[in-house]
Amino acid sequence: MKETRAGLPTVDAAGPAAAAEPTAAGGTRRWIPGTPVAFAALVVLFAVLRPQSFLSTGNLRNTVEQIAILAVVAAVQTVVMAVGEFDLSVGALVSLTGVVAAHLMLDGTPVAPAILAAVLTGTAVGVVNGVLVAWLRLSAFVATLAVLTALAGTSLLLTDGSTLFGLPAGFVAIGRDRLGGVPVLVIVAAVAAAVVWFLLAHTSAGARWYAVGGNAEAAWYAGIDARWMRLAAFVVSGAGAGVAGVLLTSRLASAHPTAGDGLMLTSIAAVFLGMTASRSGRVTVGGTLLGVAVLGVLDNGLNLLQIDTYVQQVLTGLILIYAVALSRRREARR
Amino acid sequence: MRLIPSLLAAGLLVTAAACAEPAADRPTVAVITAYLANAATKEVVEDFQAAGEKRGWKVTVTDTAGDFNALNSKMVNAANEKVSAIVLGMGDPQQMGLGLRAAGDASVPVVAIDAAAADGIAANVTSDNDDLGRQSAEALVEAVGGQGRIAMLTHDPHPGVRARAAAAKAVFEKAGIQVVASKHVAVPGPVEAARKVTDDLLTAYTGGNALNGIWAGWDEPALGATQSIEQAGRPDVAVVGVDGQDFALAEIDKGGPFRATVKQDWPGVADKAAAVVDDLLNGKAAAEKQYTLPGTLVTQKK
Repeated sequence: MKETRAGLPTVDAAGPAAAAEPTAAGGTRRWIPGTPVAFAALVVLFAVLRPQSFLSTGNLRNTVEQIAILAVVAAVQTVVMAVGEFDLSVGALVSLTGVVAAHLMLDGTPVAPAILAAVLTGTAVGVVNGVLVAWLRLSAFVATLAVLTALAGTSLLLTDGSTLFGLPAGFVAIGRDRLGGVPVLVIVAAVAAAVVWFLLAHTSAGARWYAVGGNAEAAWYAGIDARWMRLAAFVVSGAGAGVAGVLLTSRLASAHPTAGDGLMLTSIAAVFLGMTASRSGRVTVGGTLLGVAVLGVLDNGLNLLQIDTYVQQVLTGLILIYAVALSRRREARR
Repeated sequence: MRLIPSLLAAGLLVTAAACAEPAADRPTVAVITAYLANAATKEVVEDFQAAGEKRGWKVTVTDTAGDFNALNSKMVNAANEKVSAIVLGMGDPQQMGLGLRAAGDASVPVVAIDAAAADGIAANVTSDNDDLGRQSAEALVEAVGGQGRIAMLTHDPHPGVRARAAAAKAVFEKAGIQVVASKHVAVPGPVEAARKVTDDLLTAYTGGNALNGIWAGWDEPALGATQSIEQAGRPDVAVVGVDGQDFALAEIDKGGPFRATVKQDWPGVADKAAAVVDDLLNGKAAAEKQYTLPGTLVTQKK
């Protein structure tokens, strides 16, 4: 973390520490990939304790389906965090875009245009976030928090606070049907995450995002206009939230004004977990997806072990701390 | 350059001021809730608003979206403004101590809808949550043929849901039904949360230990459980909810796993609350600290 505009913390996309950084004590900081280790440990633990249920195909499919929507949101959150910002509005935007799609379909709009409208709504909100952060120089924390609040109110206004249901069968099929045994929802989420991964890892835009997040001034000297890169990152985030909103609404066969709200914090947690997956501590889509997998497996495994829900929450928090701390553990070596 | 934002802000303020109604001599009743995103709360608050306006009151509604700290602040504000009465829409009064004290100090009467009886609250008007829990549990006992294993989806921070769960549990124990798991459902997002938990419960309890039913403390988690059961291809697992929301009635109509819900008498609750407020405004104290109205069981058509 570093201090920037308005004194608020932002993410240092270049990562917390280089690999074998010398320490004051004269030792070195040995890097341990916290999240991959935690993931492997959890899988082994649950597989040993619940061999029948945990490793079953049905459970695997359930778990993947449960984390698919979070995977999309966390993937686009990764892009925003790569430019050194946060998008706090993403969960509320998932709720709103789902509501927009449902509202339009209940008013008689065909499925495809309704989906398009939801994704465009998400994209438009992304533009607003981008302009607020990049041009009006508001801290992303404040800007996206304000947008979150306005979006939450808009969802409640559009739904009158109630649940929208009775959506067309063709739309609900996205969340229910399977293609060759794989849930359609998972396929859509995987494609969305793959697009984001490609953008970030294999295009010049991706390189520029990392450059802006690593050192905006140096990026400026290299001829990169940080404003447009920040805008683009928020646009990706908004569009991704739109896709996630459509998926969530089809999965639930109904739209609730607060259905996606919980995704904001978990998506950020997943990105942080993912940062420990590489030696450089860089945010990457692959790392983030591993973070999503840790959260999903943890939830699923603790349920299968029939652990009390309140205890589950405490354990989840502790395991998150452990995974992140593990990769920063200091080991003195001569 | 700073002129434009300033003008915009000024414009917004003027618009807001123009939208606000001028203060009138008629009584002002402030409805304050943390749960307006919940469909049932929304319904009862609207019913109350209609009942109040029919009586010639000005009824304002404030939602704090689950934030009880903000809810206390809104209560303090309302007390400072000396509104005629404060009406609370659901939630645990134990979390409202600060607001209740401010209302008491300002002699502003407080009436609660579907909360709980407490010091500082003239009366609480609610569905009989014991009755809702009992009726829904009995419907589930019948749906699973009087025996087997069930799981409960609960939310203890809500006193109404907690009371339902306690009453339901007593019914299950008496009927010899085994409650194998009691799961807390997170809010917001109860449908998705319940769906995930049910996925895992169905996986965890298989073969001879298979689940026969799921009791949900309100309709949203019941919907999530229903979707999980349908996806898992286990239509033999019965689900019941509480509230009688439109989407729940539509599910029950389909003849799937969602077998029954208990409809709360929200218009009746709102009317009674308005009558209590009316009495208080006319200097007449509430006869009871708590008024409870029974619910109506809705099951699938045979």
